[in-house]
Amino acid sequence: MAQLTLEEVTKVFNAGDSEEIVAVDGVDMEIEDGEFLVLVGPSGCGKSTTLRMIAGLETVTSGEIRLGSRRINDTPPADRNIAMVFQSYALYPHMTVRGNMRFGLEESTDMADDAIEATVEETATMMGIEDLLDRKPSELSGGQQQRVALGRAIVRDPEAFLMDEPLSNLDAKLRATMRTELQRLQNELGVTTVYVTHDQTEAMTMGDRIAVLNGGVLQQVGTPLECYHTPNNRFVAGFIGEPSMNFFDVTRDDDTLEGDAFAYPLSAETRPAVGDATTLTLGVRPEDIELAADDGPDTAHSFDCVVDVVEPVGESNNVYLRFAGAAEDSNPFIVRISGTRNVAVGDRVTATIPPASVHLFGPDGRALKNRSLDDVDGVSP
Amino acid sequence: MSGVPAGGRSPLDRVKRVALYAVLLVMAAFYLIPIETGLMTSITDPATYTGQSPFLPPMEPLVEGSGRLSLQPWGNALAGLASGLVNSVILVVPATVFSGLLGSMAAYGLTSVDWRGQVGVYALFIAGIFIPYQAVLVPLTQFWYNVVPLRTLWVPLANLPLVAEHHWKLVALIVTHTAYGVPICTLLFRAHYKKLPGEMIEAARLDGASVSTIYRRIVLPLSVPMFAVVFIYQFTQVWNDLLFALTIIQFGDASVVTQELVGIGVSQSGTNFPLRMAAALLAALPTLVVYVLFGDKFAEGVTA
Repeated sequence: MAQLTLEEVTKVFNAGDSEEIVAVDGVDMEIEDGEFLVLVGPSGCGKSTTLRMIAGLETVTSGEIRLGSRRINDTPPADRNIAMVFQSYALYPHMTVRGNMRFGLEESTDMADDAIEATVEETATMMGIEDLLDRKPSELSGGQQQRVALGRAIVRDPEAFLMDEPLSNLDAKLRATMRTELQRLQNELGVTTVYVTHDQTEAMTMGDRIAVLNGGVLQQVGTPLECYHTPNNRFVAGFIGEPSMNFFDVTRDDDTLEGDAFAYPLSAETRPAVGDATTLTLGVRPEDIELAADDGPDTAHSFDCVVDVVEPVGESNNVYLRFAGAAEDSNPFIVRISGTRNVAVGDRVTATIPPASVHLFGPDGRALKNRSLDDVDGVSP
Repeated sequence: MSGVPAGGRSPLDRVKRVALYAVLLVMAAFYLIPIETGLMTSITDPATYTGQSPFLPPMEPLVEGSGRLSLQPWGNALAGLASGLVNSVILVVPATVFSGLLGSMAAYGLTSVDWRGQVGVYALFIAGIFIPYQAVLVPLTQFWYNVVPLRTLWVPLANLPLVAEHHWKLVALIVTHTAYGVPICTLLFRAHYKKLPGEMIEAARLDGASVSTIYRRIVLPLSVPMFAVVFIYQFTQVWNDLLFALTIIQFGDASVVTQELVGIGVSQSGTNFPLRMAAALLAALPTLVVYVLFGDKFAEGVTA
């Protein structure tokens, strides 16, 4: 078990004709010993490439990867003592579960046969697959194959686990169960883990910290709640959270932010953060907007709106609103209200955007002001 | 078909079906009659063979002119082809196994292992498939008779048990057939290996397996159906070959079965048809046996 360090790691692919594609661009990351880091981002953001470079399946164009104090850039994958779980599970179809789990121990250690057998049995019991040991992968369900793939990684007792979307082939129920179980296992084993996913529920719930990647560039590394409440930039703000944060393009006119169909007063505390930027993006999370009936509060932060669509999710309703004066084809914004509140399409309502929960992003997307956390309890318990 | 209630058939459908079966029957007869004729001829006593209705079973004295039943042609064919059959077996087994194994290894190296310039090397392999036999006949003779002194190199080995002096020609033929078979085998295996999941190979690499271990423990066991395809194909190809045998062996003790088949049953007094038929069927038998042995894996391989 060891700390994993990425320093200025860059990967450039040659797409022929001297055309170069930068898949990963100068990523700096430090993953503590025993930490569970989730690497998240949209497809094609370079998260899998980063993982494959750590595994040694891709060469590193520049930069350095260290496991503990050992530089592993040029170490072949076999000598890195890293285990990886693939999305497709990548089990060996001609071997039994026992054979699959033994393979790594036989190839990478000089353990005696009965010691290997004992280790395999022990891990299989821990994973609850001891009854499947003599079956072939084709005779197992997807969930069982997934367990075997995990078991095959665990049995090797590696210095680090790499997981490439390991749960994405499971159905929703099983995925939720396995999410919890994986976390529990990682906690027990205390092995440094890098987990790649595009699923932000997995990112939020599983990781000690999450690293958000976009276009090969690291956007932010932080605890899930840090990324949620104090995003570094507009991309992180929009990527983390479901439904996504609402964004409004605004221009600053003295102490007012002018949008297409609304004007939002800029408070005195916020003004210094904004500086002299004039084109800004105002962001606010759907659950931070307060919804009231048509004759609701009449403050500078309240706006008359019309309900466009209502999406009941069960515990909450996602309500799509449009400002009263906005054009029919303008993009609606989303408000999340309790699932027991009744709102119908076409209703006129009042939406209040509290100044404390507003995020402001500069023209380059950088966060100028994040929501204040005074009204949020227990961010750091 | 067109609006017919379930269970019933329209007259048109019935006509189509009758026509279909009639055509199938005619085609089956067309393909099977020559073989049946050969079989019936081969069990006819040559002295009573008239050639009037060779497809009829020999039923003399019941049917006049159909010949008398005799297994003597098969006995004579076996005696006449014995050394050719032995030589062919000595040739075909190693030639098939080597071209299959080498083709599989080459395909693995050209597919699952990453290195520079493999496309160029693969192009050379593919080009090898298209070199016409006729173009290499003279160089082959020159090579084995003048360039490589295999004949003199072989002399000391000829004293070993079961090894004879004339076997050097078979060794030359084995090497030639292996070399000629490797490109097509590589092509077949490469198509198979491209379908193997890349993540599985990567998992094995992370599990600590070397390139050769991955081949031996992962790729080779997963190639069994493709080996059946390649073995059947190469076996048939090498067993039936006459051109290379004539070029390299030319004549003598090392003659293979196809060479001996050419002359059997032909003499100045005429052609012994029953003997020729028996010999032809006997020479074709091993390819049928191989088909039966590897048939189920073959089906798996071609449908995979």
